[in-house]
Amino acid sequence: VARWTQEGFMADQKSTAALISVVILSAAPALAHHSFSAEFDGNKPVRLIGTITRIEWTNPHSYFYLDVKDSHGRVTNWGCETGNPGALSRRGWKRGDIKIGDTLIADGYLAKDGSHLIDARRVTLPDGRNVYGGSPGDGGPQ
Amino acid sequence: VTVLAQLCASLYDSRIGTGIRESDNLYSIIETVHVLAITLVVGTISLVDLRLLGLVLKQAPVSEVLGSLVRVTWAGFALMLATGLLLFWAQATQLSRNPMFQLKLLLLALAGLNALFFHRCMRRTVWDGTTRAPRAAQISALISLAVWSAVVALGRAIAYF
Repeated sequence: VARWTQEGFMADQKSTAALISVVILSAAPALAHHSFSAEFDGNKPVRLIGTITRIEWTNPHSYFYLDVKDSHGRVTNWGCETGNPGALSRRGWKRGDIKIGDTLIADGYLAKDGSHLIDARRVTLPDGRNVYGGSPGDGGPQ
Repeated sequence: VTVLAQLCASLYDSRIGTGIRESDNLYSIIETVHVLAITLVVGTISLVDLRLLGLVLKQAPVSEVLGSLVRVTWAGFALMLATGLLLFWAQATQLSRNPMFQLKLLLLALAGLNALFFHRCMRRTVWDGTTRAPRAAQISALISLAVWSAVVALGRAIAYF
């Protein structure tokens, strides 16, 4: 068993340790496909009415952002997470149905981390249609 | 790091990246092929590892097990890499900042080093029989099983960070 030695392995493990020490962990949030309960609290329903400032018609989740005015007149920008483009399209919500500046009603649930993000389960589109916005099979409320 | 971030941003904003990201079905199709390719890679590698540990196909020489599976491993790897690149293209900015994705890339490199080390040693050894594999080969097999399991787990964990 020539050369197939423990020493060879020790060298390998050292280079591994060196590699691992190179990892830089970033604190920046990243958004990818996950279940409802990973980010949202089903006991904290919320209704947002606001004007659209930004639209991300993207996989694996879509987002739109609303400027919402509270009772004191302060405006806060909220992120609203919905399902992927394919799922929304199948429910009749097409890409061009919302535009920046439109007013939307989003019924959903607050993020667990207290950020200005909701899971928008029900969305009332500018033309009055009420569409289910949740991700298919994410385990969240209907 | 800034150069890398800029590269990721231009990938993200490119027509192909945006097309995949905003597609109705393409994104999930690529995801599905990616997962199927992973089953080919991890499945065949695991069989070789389990053979080295003396748990399966005990009567067959290691070189025979390896020889008949390695082409499937490489085909799966090519498909896994291609679909992985497309998924990265669509999400480059977020993925490059995701700690689970960074760790996954690192472990993929580690899996590669482990395989390289194993194959270099394999070529130099006379052992190929049905007796117990040399200790170093068994350790390499255990590392392989652990690292590939971690790669799969981290791939799923990306969505939660």
